[in-house]
Amino acid sequence: MKRLLRFFRQSLTAKISLWIAILTGLVFLASLGFMFSQSRRSVRTEAINRAEQVLDNTVQRVTNILDRVVVATNNTDWLIARHLDAPDSMMVYSRRILENNPDLNGCSISFEPYYFPERGKYFSAFSLRENGEILSTQEGSPNYEYFTFDWYQLAKLLDRPCWTEPFFDNNPDNIYSTDIIASYCKPIKDNKGTYIGTISVDLSLEWLSNTISAVKPYPNSYSIMTGRGGTFFVHPDSTKLFFQTIFTETLDHEDPDRYALGKAMQAGEEGMKQLKINGENCYVLYKPLGETSWSVAIVCPERDILSGYKRLLKAVLIIFFLGLILMLDFINRVINHELQPLGKLTEQTKTIAGGNFYEELPDEGRIDEIGQLSQSFTEMQQSLVNYVCELKDTTAQKASIENELKVASDIQMSMVPRIFPPFPNRDDIDLFASMTPAKEVGGDLYDFFIQDEKLYFCIGDVSGKGVPASLFMAVTRNLFRIIAQQGHTPENIATQINSVLSRDNDQGMFVTMFIARADLKTGAMSFCNCGHNPPVIVRPGEPAEFLPLKHANMPLGVWDGGEFSGESLSDIRDSVFLLYTDGLNEAENEHKDLLGNDAVLRIMTESAQKNAHDIIVDLQLAVEHHRAGVIPNDDLTLLCLRLLKNQA
Amino acid sequence: MKNGFIRALTCLLLLAGAWTAQAQKFIFTPQWTAQAQFAGYYVAYEQGFYREAGLDVEIVHPSLSKTALRRISDNESQATTLQLCQALEIIDSGVPLVNILQTSMNNSLVIVSRKDEDPLLQKGMRVGTWSIGFDQMAICMSLKEGLDYQWIPFNSGLNLFLSGAIDATLAMSYNEANQLLEAGFKVSDSNTYRFCEHGYNVQEDGVYMTRQYYESHKEQARKFAEASRRGWEWAVEHPDETLEIVMDYVTRNHIATNRVMQKLMLEEILRLLVDRESGQREYRLRPDMVKLANSLMLENQLLLRGVPYDELIAR
Repeated sequence: MKRLLRFFRQSLTAKISLWIAILTGLVFLASLGFMFSQSRRSVRTEAINRAEQVLDNTVQRVTNILDRVVVATNNTDWLIARHLDAPDSMMVYSRRILENNPDLNGCSISFEPYYFPERGKYFSAFSLRENGEILSTQEGSPNYEYFTFDWYQLAKLLDRPCWTEPFFDNNPDNIYSTDIIASYCKPIKDNKGTYIGTISVDLSLEWLSNTISAVKPYPNSYSIMTGRGGTFFVHPDSTKLFFQTIFTETLDHEDPDRYALGKAMQAGEEGMKQLKINGENCYVLYKPLGETSWSVAIVCPERDILSGYKRLLKAVLIIFFLGLILMLDFINRVINHELQPLGKLTEQTKTIAGGNFYEELPDEGRIDEIGQLSQSFTEMQQSLVNYVCELKDTTAQKASIENELKVASDIQMSMVPRIFPPFPNRDDIDLFASMTPAKEVGGDLYDFFIQDEKLYFCIGDVSGKGVPASLFMAVTRNLFRIIAQQGHTPENIATQINSVLSRDNDQGMFVTMFIARADLKTGAMSFCNCGHNPPVIVRPGEPAEFLPLKHANMPLGVWDGGEFSGESLSDIRDSVFLLYTDGLNEAENEHKDLLGNDAVLRIMTESAQKNAHDIIVDLQLAVEHHRAGVIPNDDLTLLCLRLLKNQA
Repeated sequence: MKNGFIRALTCLLLLAGAWTAQAQKFIFTPQWTAQAQFAGYYVAYEQGFYREAGLDVEIVHPSLSKTALRRISDNESQATTLQLCQALEIIDSGVPLVNILQTSMNNSLVIVSRKDEDPLLQKGMRVGTWSIGFDQMAICMSLKEGLDYQWIPFNSGLNLFLSGAIDATLAMSYNEANQLLEAGFKVSDSNTYRFCEHGYNVQEDGVYMTRQYYESHKEQARKFAEASRRGWEWAVEHPDETLEIVMDYVTRNHIATNRVMQKLMLEEILRLLVDRESGQREYRLRPDMVKLANSLMLENQLLLRGVPYDELIAR
């Protein structure tokens, strides 16, 4: 599944094809669904109409036969009423009905007990067609009390003609006859309208049963006929005939639909119901049979009615899905073909990305989006080539500048004393200094030298960074060396340097400086601080502190004409003296947090017993640790001095 | 009609004279065609209870031309089933009968009305009844309640009722009442009168034989009764198997019925075995019910004389 999803994510063709297939499929399915829903309704309606027609025809055919029985009876009963004084004539009439109507099986003209007193209790003139002959007899007897039979009592009690339920034609010797008959019975009345007997005409139902059974509008459809009690008189399952009613199974398990069908058929209604029979959806069309209380129904399984429809549905769905697959393949091919230039473009851009900027892009002369994209790529390629050329030039220039800067850096570094210990033949001076520019060249400076047993030293920080600052630094350092060598006091040195620097200082640059002169014999130190950070002093046995300054002189180069004031310390021997630029206490980490003065004092206190070199190393390590890999934000210059007593 | 039939039967029995006992064959004829009403006897036969009792029993059902009573009178059968009221009528007509086994402990007779109305409220209505009897309690009730019902005899089936030719019909709770349900007719408390609930709870089916035969075959009668009782008890304990046996008999005799109807009939018949008061299957005639039946039938002139309990039972 994941592979499949990855495939679709990676392939534009597959993605577009899938979307087209989905959308097309949905549109087709919706259309087909609507069409088939309508078709199903039409097919069903048509099928039901057809079954209805078959049912109507069948009922009509059967009714015609039944009507003949009714007509035959009606043609005779008036004769009976006219000859009530002649019992024997009843035999003639019952026989004549059969003679005139070959369809009929039997006829009895039966009278109430003792109606003909001279004939006793029983008088039933009965004629029966048997083996093509008509036999007539008086059938009433103690063994055959016809008064209690349905065919006699129905007409009497209902006081109207009616049909009995179909029944097995039985006689005292063979109650299990298979001949099924039904009787049409009609009350016989005398001229006063009093009931005196019943005329009953029997019709074999074999023909009727066969006719109804043969009704089969669909291969699996079948017909049934039920009586007024719901008993099956026609049913394809012969075990149900006479043995079960349409309601029987509803007594074992509830089936409201079947019950409703039974009640509707029982009530002589005509219509159609849909219900499940043996788990199968069926349509049952029912119609009463003439004046009888019987009802005929055609049961049509839905699979029959809709078989053609379902075949069509299946075929269409197969065609649809095959079509969808073919369409998917076709779309896939078309998109692949259309996107082929993109593939080439991709390959060639890979080549270009690999450094071959002169790889020729395909030009298939297309003006569509693909063509426009190809054109854009060509333009982009040209731009890239141009850019790369420019970049080459720029890189070359930059390399040249970097080289020059490297030279400048070397020159700058060579301008400050870099050999330590600087005075190897003197044990009373422990001095170490370092200068680390933030860029190739920096604006910091330091310097020191001994002249006439006096140690001149300074530290400075030019405003700005880079080449301008480095040039300004070079000028400042030279001025310091030249002026200081003339034996001036630090404030005079500052005054003179300021005078030179501020002259023609169009760039407005300046330099902060701490200039000092230490007497190596006495340890006295005079100094002039020109806007620079106060040095740190660690006196023996005391914590480090910033050197308290009485005068705050301005940086050098700001303004010509100012006077600089100096200060002095009586003896700095055995004290540790640290000059530094703000690259130390203002060293920043990634959060722009400064290392801070407190940290500087703490390190100095902790490292005071070490020599100048180690103190500088401790401070550099502290700065590196604080920066934690962040590029230096400023030049860092340190100068540590300790003059020792009695060792000069 | 019915009284005429009983008189004819009496004459036949008297003419039969001394009983000529047939070999060891014991023919039992239920009073109606094969159905679950006689399940206990079918079971006793099929399970070999009769054979185990040393009896060579054959169950022969009646036909239209050969009813159970005719078979008894013609010495073709040695025992049959009768309702208590029928037995009283026959004894009253001069044919001594002995009850060797009583199965029914309750009356199953009901009146079902076509209208959804209490049959007691429909005076003078046409009520269907069997042409061969079983209507004694109904006649007594109709007279006692002053209902003046018009009795319409029918042979079988419910066509008169279903067609509306009659207003109500007598029915057995185990047979016709179920047939009405099967015909889609609603049988409910509102259109049904149950005799057993209105002071007419008189026992029905029992096994009877002529006293003459009984006196000379007491042991045989006792064994038949005992084996039959075993058959009924087995039926109670094995209703499903019993239904299979019943269906076998029904099929063999081409009876127009079905499994559902026979199942319902069997359930009701087994229920009727249990006495309403004791909750037990007692298999005995209750003297109070014999007395009640005598009282009602004498009061309504269905009997000329009372038939005491002792005259009925096997001693």
